[in-house]
Amino acid sequence: MIGFRLAAQRPPDPERITDTVVMRFEHIYEVDPNLMTEHTPQQSFPAWDTLRIVDSRWEHLAWMHDHFADSVVSGEELLREIEGEEGEEA
Amino acid sequence: MPTVTLSDALLDELVQICGEEHVFAGAAARFNRARVPSPFPVHRWDEFVPDAVVLPTSAEQISEVVKLANRERVPVVPRAGGTGLTDGAVPLRHGIMVDVKLMNRILELDLEDRTVTVQPGINMLKLSEELKPHGFIYPDNPASYPCSLVGGRIGTSGWSLIGGRYGHTRDLVISFELVLPTGEIVRVGDGGGPKVRKSSSGYQLKHLFMGHQGTLGIVTEATLELVKRPEAEFSAFYAYPSYLDAWRATGDFARSGAATLAGVVLFDEWKLAYLRRDDEAYIPQPESVKAVVALALYGNDDEVRASAKRMLRLGKASGGTYLGDEISQGDWASRHDRYATPLHGRTRDGQVVPMSWHCEDASILYSQLPAVREKWHAIAAGLRERFDMFDDWGMFAYTNGAFKPWGDYLTEIDIGIWEMQWDDESWAAWVDAKREIARVALEHGGSISACHGSCREGEVDLVPEELGGGFEVMKAVKRALDPNNVMNPGKYLLDRAYEEDAP
Ligand SMILES: Cc1cc2nc3c(=O)[nH]c(=O)nc-3n(C[C@H](O)[C@H](O)[C@H](O)COP(=O)(O)OP(=O)(O)OC[C@H]3O[C@@H](n4cnc5c(N)ncnc54)[C@H](O)[C@@H]3O)c2cc1C
Repeated sequence: MIGFRLAAQRPPDPERITDTVVMRFEHIYEVDPNLMTEHTPQQSFPAWDTLRIVDSRWEHLAWMHDHFADSVVSGEELLREIEGEEGEEA
Repeated sequence: MPTVTLSDALLDELVQICGEEHVFAGAAARFNRARVPSPFPVHRWDEFVPDAVVLPTSAEQISEVVKLANRERVPVVPRAGGTGLTDGAVPLRHGIMVDVKLMNRILELDLEDRTVTVQPGINMLKLSEELKPHGFIYPDNPASYPCSLVGGRIGTSGWSLIGGRYGHTRDLVISFELVLPTGEIVRVGDGGGPKVRKSSSGYQLKHLFMGHQGTLGIVTEATLELVKRPEAEFSAFYAYPSYLDAWRATGDFARSGAATLAGVVLFDEWKLAYLRRDDEAYIPQPESVKAVVALALYGNDDEVRASAKRMLRLGKASGGTYLGDEISQGDWASRHDRYATPLHGRTRDGQVVPMSWHCEDASILYSQLPAVREKWHAIAAGLRERFDMFDDWGMFAYTNGAFKPWGDYLTEIDIGIWEMQWDDESWAAWVDAKREIARVALEHGGSISACHGSCREGEVDLVPEELGGGFEVMKAVKRALDPNNVMNPGKYLLDRAYEEDAP
C-alpha cells in the first residue's frame, strides 16, 4: 500500500470479538478474515475509506428519517423523564 | 405455448406507437428486464427474456401497444421498479415488456382536497421529497421505498411498514386509470369521482384491479392520499430473553390502542443469530438476548411523546430491555431500505459466500406465530442439509392490519441463496420447499402472502385451495376481460381460465 500518512492507510491490527467477528476500529466489526478465504477473498481496505463509509452511513440514516418526520423523539430522554415522574410519585 | 419472436413489421409498429428512442430489442435491455430479485433460475435465464421492451410516455401509447398485442396474440408484461418478490414482472412467455419508468410525473397536487395525481413510474421516496415543502408525505412505505414505483405498488397491492397508522397501498390509492387487457382506457375507484374516498356506488372495482400482478391491465395514472407530514417519529427496540417473552410483548404493544402506533416488529432467535454474524448493532449484544421487538410511532409531537411513554412503560412491564437510541433510531431508519442488507451468507463450514436475499412472506394470525416459526425453520434446515447453498437468515413478524394492527402479522422467513449454484435439482427442491412453506401458512388459517403476491412456482399451486370458489371467480373475470390471454400470461394458474370446461 502506498501512502504518505501511514495511519490513514493501514488499519490497526484486529481484536477478536466473537468466534466469527473481529474489530479494528471502535464499534466497527469485520467478518473474521479466516472465513473469507475460499469463495470471497477479503480485499485490503485503507483505513480512511472504512471510516468514510461508516460516517456516511449515519448521514444516510438521518436523511432517511427526514423523509418521514420533522423530528425524532429520543427514548433515552423519555425514560429519564419517566424515572423522574416515578420518583416524584414515590 | 410456443416461443414468441417478434417480426420486424411488428417492431416497426411499436416504433410508430412509442417512438424509436422508446423501443428496445437489444440483448442488454431485454436480459436486464428478465428477472426480479426473487430467486430466479439463473441457469435458465434465456427462458424468461422479453422479445422487445417499450418505454411508453402516455396511456394512449400503452393502449395502442395492447391493441396491437391482441391483434397479433403476443403477450404483454407490465413492469415498474422490477423489485417485486413474486416474479410478477418476469415475462414467462416472452413478448412485449411495457416498462412504465418514463411515466414518472406528478400531474396534479390538490392541497384543498388533499390528493396528488401521479403517473405510475414515480417512486414514493421521490414523491415524498416533492411533497415535503407543502407539509405532506405519501406514506406508502415498503422496505423497497427508494426503488419500487407506484404502478408496481398497485400491481402487487403492497404492504407498508407504517400501515398500522396510515394504511397500505390499497388504503392510500384513491382511484386510478388503467388500460384494460383489450386496450380500452378506464378509471376505477371506490365508486365514481376520482378523489372520493368512500362510495357505495356500484362494484368496488378499485380492489379488483389491485394486486392482480399485471394480469388485468396496466395502470397509467393514480390519485393518491396526501397525509400531513408527521411532526415526530419515535422508534424503540427491546431485547427479550426468549422468543415467547418477545411474542407476548409484541401482542401487548400492538393491542395498546395508541393511535400513533404505525407498526410492531418481532425478530425471532434465528434472526438474532443471523444478525450477530454481520450487523454492528447486534454483534455486541450479550448471549442472553434471544429475541427483539421494535415499534414505531408517528404523528403530532405531543401525541407521539405521550404514547411513547406508554410504550416505554409497557416495554419495561413486559420484561424487555431498551436497546438504546442508537439502535432504535438507526435500525428503524435502515428498515426503509433493505437493499442495504449484506448480501452474503455462510456455507455449512462457515465460509462467506455471495448470496441473494429471498423473503418468503405470509399473513399469519398472532396466535399461530410460534408454531409456524418452528415449522418454517425446519423446512429451511432440510434445504440447507441437502444443498450447501441455502442459509436460514431468520424470521420477522410485522403487524399487518391497517389501522387495527393486532390480528394478523406479515410473517417472513429470509433465506439466503447462493444463486450461482442453481441446477435443476436444487431448483426443484426449492420449489417444493416454497410449496411446503405455503402449506404451513394455510394449515394455520393464514394466507400465502401478505404483501408480495403468491404467483411464484411452488406456492401458486395452493392458490386455488386458499381461495376456493373465489379462484373460479378469478378465472371468469380473467377470461371476460382478457379474451386472448395476452396480459401477463402464465401467472396465477390463470391459463386454466381458457381450458374448455372453464367457467
Ligand atoms: C429490498 C426489498 C424490500 C421489499 N419490501 C417490501 C415491503 O416492505 N412491502 C411490500 O409490499 N413489498 C416489498 N418488496 C417487494 C416489492 O418492492 C413490492 O412488491 C413492490 O410493490 C413492487 O413494485 P415495483 O415497482 O418494483 O413493481 P414490479 O416488480 O415492476 O411489478 C410488480 C407487479 O406489478 C405489475 N405492474 C407493474 N407496473 C404495473 C402497472 N403500471 N400496472 C399494472 N401492473 C403493474 C407487474 O407486472 C408485476 O406483476 C420489497 C422488495 C425488495 C427488493
